[in-house]
Amino acid sequence: MKNEETARSLRNDRIQGDYYRLDLEAPVIARAVRPGQFVHTQIPGLAHRVLRRPFSVFDTDPATGRLSIIYKVVGEGTARLAATAPGTPISLLGPLGNGFSLPSADAFPVIVAGGFGCAATFLLARRSPVPFRVLIGGRSVADLLLVREYRELGCTVRVATEDGSRGHRGVVTDLLAQLLDGGGPPPRVYACGPNAMLGAVCRLVSGRGLDAEVSLDHVMCCGVGACYTCVVKVLADTPDGWEYVRTCLDGPVFRARETVWE
Amino acid sequence: MADLSVTLAGLALRNPVITASGTFGYGADYADLVPFERLGAITVKGVSLAPCRGNPPPRTAEVFGGLLNAIGLQNPGVDKFLHDSRYLPFLRTVDTAVFVNIWGTSIEEYAEVARRLDAESEGIAALEINISCPNIKHGGIAFGTDLGLAGRVVREVRKATRLPLITKLSPNVTDIGEFARCVVEAGSDVVSLINTIPAMAIDIETRRPKLANVTGGLSGPAIKPVAVRMVYQARQAVDVPIIGMGGIQSAADALEFLLAGADAVGVGTAIFADPGCLVRIVDGIDACLDRWGVPHVRDIVGGVIV
Repeated sequence: MKNEETARSLRNDRIQGDYYRLDLEAPVIARAVRPGQFVHTQIPGLAHRVLRRPFSVFDTDPATGRLSIIYKVVGEGTARLAATAPGTPISLLGPLGNGFSLPSADAFPVIVAGGFGCAATFLLARRSPVPFRVLIGGRSVADLLLVREYRELGCTVRVATEDGSRGHRGVVTDLLAQLLDGGGPPPRVYACGPNAMLGAVCRLVSGRGLDAEVSLDHVMCCGVGACYTCVVKVLADTPDGWEYVRTCLDGPVFRARETVWE
Repeated sequence: MADLSVTLAGLALRNPVITASGTFGYGADYADLVPFERLGAITVKGVSLAPCRGNPPPRTAEVFGGLLNAIGLQNPGVDKFLHDSRYLPFLRTVDTAVFVNIWGTSIEEYAEVARRLDAESEGIAALEINISCPNIKHGGIAFGTDLGLAGRVVREVRKATRLPLITKLSPNVTDIGEFARCVVEAGSDVVSLINTIPAMAIDIETRRPKLANVTGGLSGPAIKPVAVRMVYQARQAVDVPIIGMGGIQSAADALEFLLAGADAVGVGTAIFADPGCLVRIVDGIDACLDRWGVPHVRDIVGGVIV
């Protein structure tokens, strides 16, 4: 069930660098949302911009109706959102998208996250019956988010930075490769982050006969499946083996084995 | 409470607010968010003879006051549209009139789509002939910017169906009036306008077009004054009902089109940001007519004072 809900901004604080956390009072969506789903958000005071902005739901508190997102200021819309004062009404559509499936209690689950992709997988770790291994990567230490929050959930966290300012020097998929080749039980892999990282995750798991659930980030327009803007190629039973499906409705979570990387 | 009912080519609608093709999918995607029983009609996304994949992404780009799109008419094809539960079988269950937008890459394809829809037309109130899409290589706008081709498409579709016909006109012509007259003479019962305006946007850092298709169609509030002007000119040219559209976001916008000569209005791009705008536009037209002491919405059609 999709809802349009007028949420109220509770707090809207800078976490670090260009990254912000926005807490909203949105009880209907907060109680309905599943891990990996998103809310399509109308930015207040941006009348000359005609679209909403999609944000993964980072965390919820169903008891109080709180819903939180984490965003990075990258353009006019997110800059305006960062300037939104507490108390401002903000229209949300949600929960949207398919979301992740929860691991079973006997699984060995792993999250691979890049940048603020780790916001999209947080609710998955919170609701999981077993603690996750969490691999978080970023360009530098300033891009590593939520390390403490994942640890507070009981997750084991390893980090990688491309400049070596914290943890492993390199990309986060190096850590995934180590884990996959470490001789343990085959993990259940979940990933969210830049598309280049997700492509690497898909190649790593596919090369070992495994699968993964990856949350893709594509520019969206309507967010509900009507406009066919956010299409992505997936393998399909067609004459040339692929078709376009909608990230907003058929995703954003796809199986690694159905993805196409060019 | 003013009387908002309108009649288009013998087709009674509860009010003049219609969703524009391509902005409402095939209805089901908005079923949770929009009370269909409050709408005059919905126009579903363009249907072609064969399934169509559409253009490579990126397919849309937000620009100042509007949206560029080059979706490329991705659709499941007429047979799947008729029989898959997500398309026409679903639309047969909704409490509003359903207009089916059709297109082809040849005149024969337009006629064949119309013929197949006519053969199983339960739940279809009218067909809208799209001769104005700027984003496909063959067909679309090529038919809508050539008087001879526009007339032939409409005549052949007219022969293929008894359903009421709406023809959606391209704004990319010098004289909209002669295109309106041409499609009406060829058998169109209603004209709708405007489709999007061919346009382009460039990312200055990458120096690449923002759309993979290079160019696209501009919609949204940026095009509203162009659309109002064209509806006004079409009204001078033909007596058939007009569905006016282009950048409508509010009841005030809709009323502007009605005053320019539209009998009904299409709402499109505004739905993406604000699905609730559809009902607000219906209620806002009602409230405004009450304030003016106008008993029936038809009383203001073409009422611009010049």
